[in-house]
Amino acid sequence: MIVELLAVITIMVATMFSVIGVVGFRRLPDVYTRLHATGKVGVLGVVMLLIAAVLVTPLVWSKALVLILLLLVVGPVTAHVLALAAYELGIEMKEGQQDDLQGVFTGITAEKIRLQDTSEGVKRGLFE
Amino acid sequence: MSTLLIGTLYFSLAVHTLLIGYAVWRMWRGENRIDRLMGFDLIGTLILGVLVLIAMIEETSIFIDVGLGLTALGFVGVVALARYAVAGEVE
Repeated sequence: MIVELLAVITIMVATMFSVIGVVGFRRLPDVYTRLHATGKVGVLGVVMLLIAAVLVTPLVWSKALVLILLLLVVGPVTAHVLALAAYELGIEMKEGQQDDLQGVFTGITAEKIRLQDTSEGVKRGLFE
Repeated sequence: MSTLLIGTLYFSLAVHTLLIGYAVWRMWRGENRIDRLMGFDLIGTLILGVLVLIAMIEETSIFIDVGLGLTALGFVGVVALARYAVAGEVE
């Protein structure tokens, strides 16, 4: 009985996190802040649903543990890959934030365009 | 299982289905390509949540196996599409 009540509370909190993530995806101004919101759906929403599944049906705990570990690895990596792609595409931040990577990091694609057909680019192995 | 738990499971299933609908809309009418890719990633994650809820309702673990495959393939797909969106080719 107490276990089922715990499962109900966990499922409601997970649903709340999923709704918060998608509302943030709707309302936040630019790509980078939206990535911050959608990360909550994967890491908090689905992981708490899996914890509730372990509480309700105890036989699935090994598969659920593997899936929790996979989600905890995959979620941040996906967010970083998408943010890197957005920065390399030149999508700008909104609302007066400061770009700390200005002039320090230009992505691999921009570096290739800058060093196109130069000896330095060939020396650094950017071209075949 | 008690009636409260069953009701909570079906409520959560309905909410997640509505959220998938919004993510599909966002993938169709996104601002830029990274926005659409985020919609794609969100669809995969929410479908994983739906699969876990169905596994709890049906009391089988086969849907969690399906979720494992879905997560791995979705991760590879999003990474490859993000590199393709930047470089125009997958290296």
